[in-house]
Amino acid sequence: MDKDRHTIILKALQSAVGEENIEDSPAVMMAYHRDWLPPGILNPILPEFVVLPNGTEQTQKVIRICNRYKVPFIPLGSSQWSITTAPNRPGTLMIDSKRMNRILDIDEKNMYAVIEPYVTMAQIHAEANKRGLYLGSPEASSQASAMAGHVFQGMWGVGHRLGVGHRNILAMEWVLPHGEVLRTGSWAANYKTPFFGEGPGIDLRGMLRGLAGALGGMGMVTKMAIKLHPYPGPKEFPCEGIVPNHTSTLPPDRFQWYIIKYPTLEKAAHAMYEISRAEIGGVLQKWPTVYYNWWWANSNQEYWETWKEGIWQKHCKHAVAVCLWGFTSATQLAYEKRVLEDIIEETGGKPIPQEVFDKWVPRTANNWIRDTNGSRMMRPSGTFLALRLPFDTFNSSIWECKEGGRWVDKFTPPILDCDGPDWIASFDMGHFGSAETDFPVEKDPADLGDLMQRLMGMMKEDLSHQIEGGVGPFLGGVYHSMAGKVFYNYGELLKGIKKAMDPNIVSNPPQNYPIEQEE
Amino acid sequence: MVKGKKMVLPKDPRYLKYPIDQPFDPRWTAWNCSRCSCCKFIDSWRVKSWKYARICPQHTRYRFDAFSAQGKCDLALAVIDGKMKWGDDPTIKDILFRCTMCGGCDAMDKKIRDGEVLKLQKWMRAEYVKAMGVLPEHRPLVDSVKNYDNVWLQPRARRNSWAKGMEIKDLTKEKAEVLLFAGCTYGLSEELKETITNVATILKNCKVNFGILGTKEVCCGSPVEKIGVESEFERVAKNNIETFNKIGVKTVVTPCAGCFGTIGLEYDKVTIQKKFEVLHITELFERLMSGGKLKFKKEVPLKVTWHDPCHQGRLSRPYLPGKDIEGVYEPPRNILKAIPGIELYEMERIKEYAWCCGGGGGVFTAFKDFAQWTALERLEEAKDTGAQAIATSCPWCESNLGNAIKGMEEKIALYSLTDLMAKAL
Repeated sequence: MDKDRHTIILKALQSAVGEENIEDSPAVMMAYHRDWLPPGILNPILPEFVVLPNGTEQTQKVIRICNRYKVPFIPLGSSQWSITTAPNRPGTLMIDSKRMNRILDIDEKNMYAVIEPYVTMAQIHAEANKRGLYLGSPEASSQASAMAGHVFQGMWGVGHRLGVGHRNILAMEWVLPHGEVLRTGSWAANYKTPFFGEGPGIDLRGMLRGLAGALGGMGMVTKMAIKLHPYPGPKEFPCEGIVPNHTSTLPPDRFQWYIIKYPTLEKAAHAMYEISRAEIGGVLQKWPTVYYNWWWANSNQEYWETWKEGIWQKHCKHAVAVCLWGFTSATQLAYEKRVLEDIIEETGGKPIPQEVFDKWVPRTANNWIRDTNGSRMMRPSGTFLALRLPFDTFNSSIWECKEGGRWVDKFTPPILDCDGPDWIASFDMGHFGSAETDFPVEKDPADLGDLMQRLMGMMKEDLSHQIEGGVGPFLGGVYHSMAGKVFYNYGELLKGIKKAMDPNIVSNPPQNYPIEQEE
Repeated sequence: MVKGKKMVLPKDPRYLKYPIDQPFDPRWTAWNCSRCSCCKFIDSWRVKSWKYARICPQHTRYRFDAFSAQGKCDLALAVIDGKMKWGDDPTIKDILFRCTMCGGCDAMDKKIRDGEVLKLQKWMRAEYVKAMGVLPEHRPLVDSVKNYDNVWLQPRARRNSWAKGMEIKDLTKEKAEVLLFAGCTYGLSEELKETITNVATILKNCKVNFGILGTKEVCCGSPVEKIGVESEFERVAKNNIETFNKIGVKTVVTPCAGCFGTIGLEYDKVTIQKKFEVLHITELFERLMSGGKLKFKKEVPLKVTWHDPCHQGRLSRPYLPGKDIEGVYEPPRNILKAIPGIELYEMERIKEYAWCCGGGGGVFTAFKDFAQWTALERLEEAKDTGAQAIATSCPWCESNLGNAIKGMEEKIALYSLTDLMAKAL
């Protein structure tokens, strides 16, 4: 950006947020040039400015300035595991939400919280737990922005019981890409009661959501009301030990883990159907064996030595993990135990050996209730990548896992050993399932660059035909434009929304549809 | 593993086993930051409230991500890869030095990856100082260590003034098993010298065979090590190890957390082998309690919360990937619990995830506003426990917290642990 233009924009921003809340020094810009995805690592572009607005009004001023000068902007949450937040246009402005870090309200009776973007999941957990309430634990880690978690995937550990994240959004105060403020849900009519998420008109949450969220391409939400749910656990999350050797044990009369091994993926999925039909459990997952190690290992050495021993591969392949929650009472848990044990018997499952259960559960399992500890996925090789993400049924997930496995085999190496990355998660009591293909990759620029090219080829191949029973591979951001007739040209709808809401194409281009300013 | 194929493992052996025994590689440490931001918050399993969820004072105060371990990884990479120079941007000075070097980021980071981000930050400071010189704000401190062997511009002759009339062995002339190393601040501060005299009194009462170095005691080097003046650190470290070895003590004990962490851990960087164990005074007191030599008789009716000094806690033990971030966490708590009348109230952030007092890393000397801001957050946390007093065992923590208390409307009492012990004897 030329110096005069930089100075003009800087002055405008200073008047919007105050001099102390804007930075343009190179050393500070350096800290915002990447997220954890390869593009930001391989082709770094420094942003031009970072601003810290303190709320909706200042955010609106900043976004209006961006529109006036056609400056691309990227909204940030807590920056944990953020994706598509690395600048990919010169002259980008980062909207850092650190001054919007408050829990504005927790309504115990009506079970909701009102939050700002820099509030983490862990912070809400802590405050909600004190009041006997709870919200999901995100796949990434609970240091992630709760708001970002709700507008992105929302693939929570407890999604089986609480539903995928975005279904818990009640109301939003949202600065649109062109700078207008939109209030959704009940806030559209009555600012005081964030109760009815769909609002008096059409449900506008859809503009921000879809499968993977708008990824910063639809402006910035500055305030959100989210559902909280009853929680039968203690007011303080139980944790023993010193980092990194923590253990956690929740009251056994209210929380009970089971890890049940099946001979095939199909049988595991069948058991998940049966568990869902019985409407029991708080957590229902089928994790790939690599997850057991990612989540559990406290060091790289422990990770690789355990992996080479093959403990998880031997005992947890095709295992279904269930955490029963006595939401209402210990009696409920006792009932659910009886039901689950019947299902295990009927479906031919077998509990994993006790010593393996004892090795894994106290150190790791409750991650799925407070913090999935997902950042550990970077540990053994510096990074990891995810291939595909269909949301549909358990059955479609089986197919997807096998397809994902085929691609992983094909690209190994540079993909590292991971024993078939077949993750199936249940949401809404089994009303839909998701599959994800995550795998470790060495954080080596040559490997990553090559692999990204090959994955893009795979993506195109996938999009050339409709995937059996599923909604397809990871469709977010720029990939919407790749979804053609096979996917009902839905991309055209998104393109229209993007053009209408973001006429100057400033909201994190090329998200949420890749059109450029000159178009 | 793909059927019929060999297991595919990382090519870089450092991913298979952290290279703890190899020279530190700053680039590799910086490169492997995944921007997970775990360095900015306490371990999420330990978050007990919205209010006290953060670990990094610098990042909390200055907000921009450059002021975090993650941001410093980005800056280090830029400099190592030749994209920036230390002198390119005046903000670099603030990024590097407006940091208490408390190691909270480092401890939290170690939960999720193998790495030493605090070591990286020390490397950055040292490289900055080599290129840009010592910070003007730190110059008097460095000159003081060079010229007077202490950080407070005091003549060497005052070093043992606290021991006057106490009849303590001078180990440059006599022998003893234990060296009591007072440290610059306890030894020279009029405000804090009661602590060191109480320590000596308790040791004498317990009949510990100990002595001091008198006017020959030299700064441990902690402040110069933290502010990137490596040469001066090496000088005092070598001097001290040689002296301690020469006087033949089995144990060096100090009531100063900074001296303890430095002599116990940072001296390992110096090639001379230590022939003595290093204890914090609370460890020795706990041993004396266990052996029945130290008993508390008088009641001290007080609700107390304990502040873990960083150098007594997470910064006091060598890094062993996958192992606990050990520290002297329990001895001071056990001592407090043993004093009749004292009720221990824990703060939300303790032990390896404790919030820093704000006094470390050269911040107390150079950036008093930030030091005080950090202390005020800790004091607020202490008051929120319902305790009447906050106790600790580090002169930097005591000084910085003490200064902050002076400006508070609703104050909380501050005690050195040893002073509470003295009341109970």
